[in-house]
Amino acid sequence: MPDENDTPRDPRLPEESTTSRRTFLATAAAIGGPLLVTPRVARGSEVSSRLTLGFIGCGGRGTWIADLFQKHGGYQITAAADYFQDRVDEFGAKFGVPAERRHTGLQGYRQLLESDVDAVVIESPPWFHPGQASDAVEAGKHVYLAKPVAVDVPGCRTVEESGRRATEAQKCFLVDFQTRTDPLYQEAVKRAQYGDIGRIVCGEATYICGPTWGTQAKWLEDKPDDPEMRLRAWGLDRALSGDVITEQNIHALDVASWVLDAAPLHAVGTGGQKARSAGSCWDHFSLSFTFPQDVLVTFCSKQLGDGWDDICCRMYGTEGTLDTHYFADVSIRGRLPYRGGKLTSLFKDGAVRNIATFHDSITRGDWSNTTVAPSVRSNLTTILGRTAAWRRAAVTWEEMMSANEELQVDLAGLRS
Amino acid sequence: MVRRVAGPTLLLAALLVAPLHGREVEAPARGDATVNSLGMRMVLVPAGSFRMGSPPGEPLRQDEEVPHRVTLTRAFRIASTEVTQRQWLALMPWNRSQHKGDDLPVTSVSWKDAREFCVRLSETEGAPYRLATEAEWEYACHAGATEPVAAAERPAVAWYADNSEGATHPVGLKEANSWGLFDMLGNVAEWTLDAYGPYPRAEEDKDPTGPAVGNSKVVRGGAWRSFVPAVRCAARVGTPQSYPLHHVGLRVVQEVR
Repeated sequence: MPDENDTPRDPRLPEESTTSRRTFLATAAAIGGPLLVTPRVARGSEVSSRLTLGFIGCGGRGTWIADLFQKHGGYQITAAADYFQDRVDEFGAKFGVPAERRHTGLQGYRQLLESDVDAVVIESPPWFHPGQASDAVEAGKHVYLAKPVAVDVPGCRTVEESGRRATEAQKCFLVDFQTRTDPLYQEAVKRAQYGDIGRIVCGEATYICGPTWGTQAKWLEDKPDDPEMRLRAWGLDRALSGDVITEQNIHALDVASWVLDAAPLHAVGTGGQKARSAGSCWDHFSLSFTFPQDVLVTFCSKQLGDGWDDICCRMYGTEGTLDTHYFADVSIRGRLPYRGGKLTSLFKDGAVRNIATFHDSITRGDWSNTTVAPSVRSNLTTILGRTAAWRRAAVTWEEMMSANEELQVDLAGLRS
Repeated sequence: MVRRVAGPTLLLAALLVAPLHGREVEAPARGDATVNSLGMRMVLVPAGSFRMGSPPGEPLRQDEEVPHRVTLTRAFRIASTEVTQRQWLALMPWNRSQHKGDDLPVTSVSWKDAREFCVRLSETEGAPYRLATEAEWEYACHAGATEPVAAAERPAVAWYADNSEGATHPVGLKEANSWGLFDMLGNVAEWTLDAYGPYPRAEEDKDPTGPAVGNSKVVRGGAWRSFVPAVRCAARVGTPQSYPLHHVGLRVVQEVR
């Protein structure tokens, strides 16, 4: 099972067991500096039979996707890093990473970057993504990065810059969004963008599911003052995760910004934490985004209750409706319909496609890194919504970008 | 009735080699056009080769835009503008365009309507007119360029969702491409002759005409209500041929014999 954070949780499935929870490798982005390594060129004839991989983040999602990398056949996992020894050991035993290539603590990933791996897969909590990805590019590694790319505006800017630096250094930098790889989504979005649903007037994005993070909540309740336990329960920490709207709900808002090929101009709304006492993340949001051409997109999410689960984005045009569901149908209804089809395992299929694309891009020498810009844009879209909700006020894109607000995490009490 | 703007001998002799940067084919000579009885300016497009589709890594590309080398062995003439409502009504008894105006492009025509217009135009002119094949259309859209239209240039050459104010605009107001063709991107999307289907797997193709059969036809160019990803020379979409749509019109091609 994938970790529930980096892959949308299929609301129809039972919550994951304790053993599937991801722990992570962590370090402060702010203290990252240039690393003295000699990157191994991984292109064309210099690629041996397989690309060597280092995993940063060896919890549930990391372990799950590592299995997909291994099944691809074009990769060899040779190094791993995680804050927690138990996690990296479990991962290392499963994928044959020798003990001397397993690294722990906040700084463990730096040792991994000093090794000769061709590429790194970053599956740590979102707060650490920008610093780790930046250091990886600096170390000359290709980067495969889980969403969300960051939790705040400075982080998004860092990732955007890392993508540019990767292109300049002829390295691949891929952000792992699943929906954008899916042929049904691609065709439906293309048609909507072309004009098949008429002039797009408004839309709605929703991420509706039941209670999540139950196990992490228990950890946190058992040891609320333990820094390491707070890190294990990072999904409930608004700074480490970016809050639910950024960490999970991004899938719904990403489709909206994809269809409209734009960032919102402003957002207004609110939310709260009514059904879950543990942690600082909210369990519901309700917002309205205004996009260019005055296209209004309402947004609603929840992580509570029972009865209805969906990750949906609908766009309403003067002649039709684009209707997309991460775990169900993708279609267009209206004057010019598109039957589309039903998705059954997008979270896995999308990752498999991205893993294949990552390999192809490296071996073909494609450093265009086209996933970075739209991923940063949708990430910032969630941050705009979160900022408006937290303030319970209207916030413009310009205000958010100018404020450049950074989410702080207290790393005291953690091993370096 | 055709009024020639420049003589063919002179024109062929005057074919210009386009600037090397970002271009790969010879461009028609400036002013190399004829004007037919409906006032359509028909620009000569020489035979040539180009890369159809878009390369991996190009921003906004769709996976289906598989790049492949296409050679067009025959020159053709293509209208410098989309068919206007005035031109449409000169040959057809009805006009269902959502936005009305003599110089606005005609819309809400099915693919069969568009073909009927071409048949009537051919009879009137005594010359073979038709829709462009998908390859001819993309060749004319690129106009010899090897790079897509830059984002900063897009508003100057196209009416689309960002600047159209929700309506079509008179043809020819935006800047033409380097072969003198207006509104290849935006304003109205344009029916092509080809049925819609995946590109052939072959890396090279000659005078492609698309799948032999198919009820969905290729529409190209993006329209007044399209978002940026659709407003690209390589963007393509399949549309049922019987559908008259408010954002789809046509542009005609004249075969050169």
